[in-house]
Amino acid sequence: METKMPAVLDIISDNIIKHGNPLALKGSETAAWAKGLDLPVRGELLFYTGGEYQLLPFIDSLVKTITHIDQGSKVFSMMMGVRNMLNKAGINAEKIYASVLAKDKERYNSVCFKAAKVLQGLGYEFCYAGNKELYSGALLYELGYSKDMKEYAQKVVEVVKKSGAKTIVCLSPHAAEVFKFVYPKMVEGFNLEVLTFVDLVWQRRAKLARIKFSGAVVIHDSCRLARELGIHQELRDILESVGVEVKETPRSREWTTCCGGPIKILFPELSHVIGARRVNELKESGSEHILTSCPYCLSALEGGRAKEDSAIIEDLIEFLYRGAEA
Amino acid sequence: MTVDLRKDFVDYAKSLNSACEDTNIQKAMTRAVGSYRDTVAETMERFQHTPELAREVREIKSQSVANLDELLKQAMASVERNKGKAFYAKDHQAALEIALGIIGRNKTVVKGKSMLGEELHLRQYLEDNGNEVWETDLGEFILQLRKERPMHILSPSIHVPREQVAEVFSKFFGKEVPPDIAEEVKAVREFMREKYFTADIGISGANVVAADTGAMVIIENEGNVRLATGAPPVHIVIVGIEKLVPTFQDAMKVAEVTWRYAQYGIPGYVNIVSGPSKTGDIEKVTTYGAHGPKEFYVIFVDSGRSEMAKQEKFSQALNCLRCGGCMYECPVFQVTAGHFGHIYMGGIGTIWTAFVAGGMEKATPLAYSCLRCGRCVERCPMSIEVPAMIGELRKRAIHGE
Repeated sequence: METKMPAVLDIISDNIIKHGNPLALKGSETAAWAKGLDLPVRGELLFYTGGEYQLLPFIDSLVKTITHIDQGSKVFSMMMGVRNMLNKAGINAEKIYASVLAKDKERYNSVCFKAAKVLQGLGYEFCYAGNKELYSGALLYELGYSKDMKEYAQKVVEVVKKSGAKTIVCLSPHAAEVFKFVYPKMVEGFNLEVLTFVDLVWQRRAKLARIKFSGAVVIHDSCRLARELGIHQELRDILESVGVEVKETPRSREWTTCCGGPIKILFPELSHVIGARRVNELKESGSEHILTSCPYCLSALEGGRAKEDSAIIEDLIEFLYRGAEA
Repeated sequence: MTVDLRKDFVDYAKSLNSACEDTNIQKAMTRAVGSYRDTVAETMERFQHTPELAREVREIKSQSVANLDELLKQAMASVERNKGKAFYAKDHQAALEIALGIIGRNKTVVKGKSMLGEELHLRQYLEDNGNEVWETDLGEFILQLRKERPMHILSPSIHVPREQVAEVFSKFFGKEVPPDIAEEVKAVREFMREKYFTADIGISGANVVAADTGAMVIIENEGNVRLATGAPPVHIVIVGIEKLVPTFQDAMKVAEVTWRYAQYGIPGYVNIVSGPSKTGDIEKVTTYGAHGPKEFYVIFVDSGRSEMAKQEKFSQALNCLRCGGCMYECPVFQVTAGHFGHIYMGGIGTIWTAFVAGGMEKATPLAYSCLRCGRCVERCPMSIEVPAMIGELRKRAIHGE
């Protein structure tokens, strides 16, 4: 039995397979943040962005643009064929990309830069595949395109292999999850050590400079990080090392509440409701400064924050960069 | 053959969105989630052996699911030994026909809450065949009057506030019922009391079945199941074959874990029924049909369950005790209630939808609305890996089997 699924799924999977990125962003675009850092392409430790932070503003823009085309039935247009609707409305994909706010692009692109700087500050030396880097394929796996994933994973591994690295450090827990749990089943002889940004920082947390910060933060544990990878105490240890107080919400660590991000593309309204509820739940901790460590959480919580809400949502990378900068 | 699910996704998204905007659902769910978490935390504190017992039950259930054929044979023999009659229904249609064969037409039926009943659309079927059927569970009764489907497996009318209950009751009873919960409960009690004692047949589900003894364990709080299964002359149990465990002792363990994770220290009532009522008080001659039912029937329903049991990647879904705990922890269910579901609800319900009640067409949109966040696994006493199974379902939606 063949099933016709919402077109947005095909578009995303096609993009990953053909362009190595869910929204077909160009390698030169996803690697732009690294200009001037002169990172080598070969080394023991591979710095891996997967283009994920970089594509966040584009996802939001895609959702917003489609909402704009047909207010009456935005869901309808999402489902019935994005490409089709976009063409009819005289909007092409390039325009969606062009409509991304420069400040959003700037912010999300800079996360990678900041992560690199924080790690360098801790004395890590690493390489980066630059515009050759491919997205991990996590969404292919997530959305059920397992056969495509299997093929695609081989391509990703080729790029990774060229670095000569023994360890890969992922900024996104989603990438870390697939490298750690899915790749070994799909790619023969895949035996790279898979770590997250959080792991590396935690290992050398004693070297972190204290961060001048008044007040306390609250941690939004990412589902993948906390439940799949079992990383949650590490975040608290890191913040303790930089001298920042952490307030807790009862729904934290392995009981954390999802940000709503995973269903953003197919069920944007529901995703938004879940994100908004999570922001409020986190604020009940007594802190309005929310830290997370996952690109999709970051974006979904930002999206869920009400316009007039004074809460601040940052990635741990952004927060730690304050210390690295000082 | 091509199945176009694009419109299904659209309709489903609309239904989820309207649920998010429904203030009744939001109010009721917020209250329900808060009280569930508080009560469970308190109950687990009091009965600290529960997680360990749950681990034991996980083993009992896994082995039972792997051994369903044998357990079914044993259980059917036990029921017959107890002077009951046991049936095996391969699919929904067979189950309905067996039930109708026992019941006949122009009868009055009182029914306890049963998800299998929902799966079979049993009430509808019996009504269509000229019977009068009453849902005796308060929540189900409200839905019967409102012609709606359950929004939670344990609290089916979770989305209906007292004002709306008063409205539908006033209309149905033909007298003013105030929006006061105690008054509402009283009105139903009066109405239902007469039904129990005039009904021809009582129907219930069962939470666990012990194969060695043929004991049906039915957990409840309202007391409706006692009456519905005790007062009429005939008692029919409809139960999925996944509820079978080897021994009576096993059944007790399963039952305790089930109610504990459904937030009860101990439920109001635990019914154990194994056959028709009997007495030997006159001359030690065993005579059937004493105060309780004279006839006792059990319909074991398969309908996709044994197929599911054979599939390595999905068989653990049959370990589900239906405690409902996962639903309270699900971020999607918290804002949409039973809209995230077909007959069975939430992430685990999506797996059940695929195999047992609805098929892949109904299950696919549900599968894509699951966040795969995994908090249900944390709560689940059986640690059922719902996100992994949802992933498998998606794979099937994209690539076929």
